Amino acid sequence: MLRATVVGLLWFGLAVAVRAAAATASDPGAAIYLQGVLTTGEPLAGVREAGGPRVKGMDAACVNCHHRSGLGTTEGRVTIPPITGQYLFHPRSATRDDLALPYVQSAHGNRNPYTDATLARSIRQGIDSEGRPLGFLMPRFALGDADMAALIGYLKKLDSPQVPGVTATVLHFATIVTPDADPMKRSGMLDVLQHYFADKNAFPFGPSPPMRSSGKTLYSKSMYMANRRWQLHVWELTGPAAGWRAQLERHLAQEPVMAVVSGLGGSNWAPVHEFCEQERLPCLFPSVEVPVVARREFYSLYFSQGVLLEAGLLAGRIAAPAGSSPVAQSVDQVYRADDSGEPAARALVAALKVRGVAVHDHPIAAGAGETGLAEALHAAAAADVLVLWLRPSDLAMLGEVPVAPRAVFVSGLMGGLEGAPLPPAWRARTQLTYPFDLPDRRGVRVTYPLEWFSIRHIPVVAEQVQIDTYLACGLLAETLSHMADVFARDYLVERMEEMLEHRLMTGYYPRLTLAEGQRFASKGGYVVRFASAAGNLLLADSDWMVP
Amino acid sequence: MLTLICAVLLGAAPPVLAGDPATADRVVTTTADYTVPNIRLVRDDGTTVSLAEEMNDGRAVVLNFIFTTCSSFCPLSSQTFAQFQRKLGADRGRVHLMSISIDPEQDTPARLREYAHKYHAGPGWQHYTGTLEASRAAQRAFGAYQGDKMSHAPLTLVRSADGKSWRRIEGFVTPDELLSEYHQALASK
Repeated sequence: MLRATVVGLLWFGLAVAVRAAAATASDPGAAIYLQGVLTTGEPLAGVREAGGPRVKGMDAACVNCHHRSGLGTTEGRVTIPPITGQYLFHPRSATRDDLALPYVQSAHGNRNPYTDATLARSIRQGIDSEGRPLGFLMPRFALGDADMAALIGYLKKLDSPQVPGVTATVLHFATIVTPDADPMKRSGMLDVLQHYFADKNAFPFGPSPPMRSSGKTLYSKSMYMANRRWQLHVWELTGPAAGWRAQLERHLAQEPVMAVVSGLGGSNWAPVHEFCEQERLPCLFPSVEVPVVARREFYSLYFSQGVLLEAGLLAGRIAAPAGSSPVAQSVDQVYRADDSGEPAARALVAALKVRGVAVHDHPIAAGAGETGLAEALHAAAAADVLVLWLRPSDLAMLGEVPVAPRAVFVSGLMGGLEGAPLPPAWRARTQLTYPFDLPDRRGVRVTYPLEWFSIRHIPVVAEQVQIDTYLACGLLAETLSHMADVFARDYLVERMEEMLEHRLMTGYYPRLTLAEGQRFASKGGYVVRFASAAGNLLLADSDWMVP
Repeated sequence: MLTLICAVLLGAAPPVLAGDPATADRVVTTTADYTVPNIRLVRDDGTTVSLAEEMNDGRAVVLNFIFTTCSSFCPLSSQTFAQFQRKLGADRGRVHLMSISIDPEQDTPARLREYAHKYHAGPGWQHYTGTLEASRAAQRAFGAYQGDKMSHAPLTLVRSADGKSWRRIEGFVTPDELLSEYHQALASK
């Protein structure tokens, strides 16, 4: 009874919408597990003991508690056990050491194996394989025989004996670079990745010792729990975006990988994002200025929303400025039509529209060069508030400061953060969006990786991107250590969600958190200004803001 | 015996509801006094408010801590609140249900409104967000802070009036049990 409470066996859980895999259309078990939809099309419904709340439909879907991987989780004192076939039907063992299963913290060891019949009983009546009641969280479901068979069949299929990119001795990872990525950032990112992988592989590897379900062998052997080499595959895309998908498919077929780590994009990352979602391939923290914001995606994790976050910060600042400053009547924004500023500008228009602030766009046509910049600035000279979504090369070419604007904002992410080469007269007037922690508060979170670069003679050519890359590698290593020898792609994403908030070394970011339905780990930023006409010292014009 | 073991595991005093075998292994109820911290939170309607003023407006308070992207037991807690509020009947106007987000950067007022709508929150049930520091201060003040949102635990707190002790219910309380707690708290007022 006690165990049934503290260690609740939960087949079905509660709300949060999860995008169902396409497979649910042809797999009724998947539809029940992922969507809470029965073969009849009716919603799955469950009841709890003692008059507890009922659940229905998506809120009743197993995935809410047991997750896509089926490997469960631990939340505080509540443990949600794994329910893939091998964890249900394994022979009873006296100790966890004798349990011939990959290590999952919440797995049961000393329990009689389920049969299809006792499993059906547990789902319908809430009684485990030994007749003990399941936990309160786990509802009881009146599933018909066909639905029950479909669901149990799905649980058995959740065991994935062969994970692409995982061999007995090697874990394969890819990084993806789009052709419009900044060449300097590309060089800096790849330098960090290659050194990180070399460091991982410098560890003296012997044959992987068999890992027991207790994890004992694991923990007693070394801190590098996943005793495999890491191999990096660099997938450099070429040509127009329409051809990237085919290139990615070829790369994945030729070089199967467990996940994508880091990566670098220009203004269009959507084809890569969609590829990772459709291939169910974790894509962990690429350096992307314009990520895809989709509420129900699963496999792509980002550090932040990039320029879209900056648009949100600006909207909050312009429409509801601190203190008694009046709300701007209108905003003019300048951006290059083929760069990240274009989607950022669209996001700002949308955010300000709902606040009743009009925005006038001044796009610079692709290839218009310096003349195009001057014309756009001239057209925006009478602006009440001026927003510039421009690169350092454009910022350095800015001419006279227009007199009219009450405020001038520049995208810090696009403009080079504190290194933005604004002419002195502009520096005095300009505020930067700054979607990171302030430089003087980053401390050891940044000095540690910089020292790591220095020792390895890695030139710092794009500090923020390189530290993001180092951070992505570190997060991958730490998550893999939590996963022990369970190399499942979905589980990698789930464990990343769980462990991220514990991470203290978070690079440029004050704090990183994820959860089901959260795909952007850092949520806010600052608006800053330069302290003086020269130098990189910044002053915060706002508290940490979350749009 | 089970009750005592459970109490030890949950780090709390033996349960008051031990007389009911159906609840003894599921919830642990204790009595506690807390000082409401002097902090400001943002209510789901976007208004910045004082936590103390929200709590001390003459109504009884039923409090929990949730986050909107929690897929395991926060939905259960919120369902329980919703059913409890319906079961209050004529007393509904005398009870202030308060749900404070432990993931305030994600849980903007708009997301909290959406969440409240999903659980059919009535007029007397508000959700709160704010700065990370304010949320943590609120959690610490009520012994609910576990370090991060993924380490949270099911907890409900009931107080009949300002100045009275709190009933601290750890575990998965049902709507009927919560109603019973509320009536007991009122009786001891």
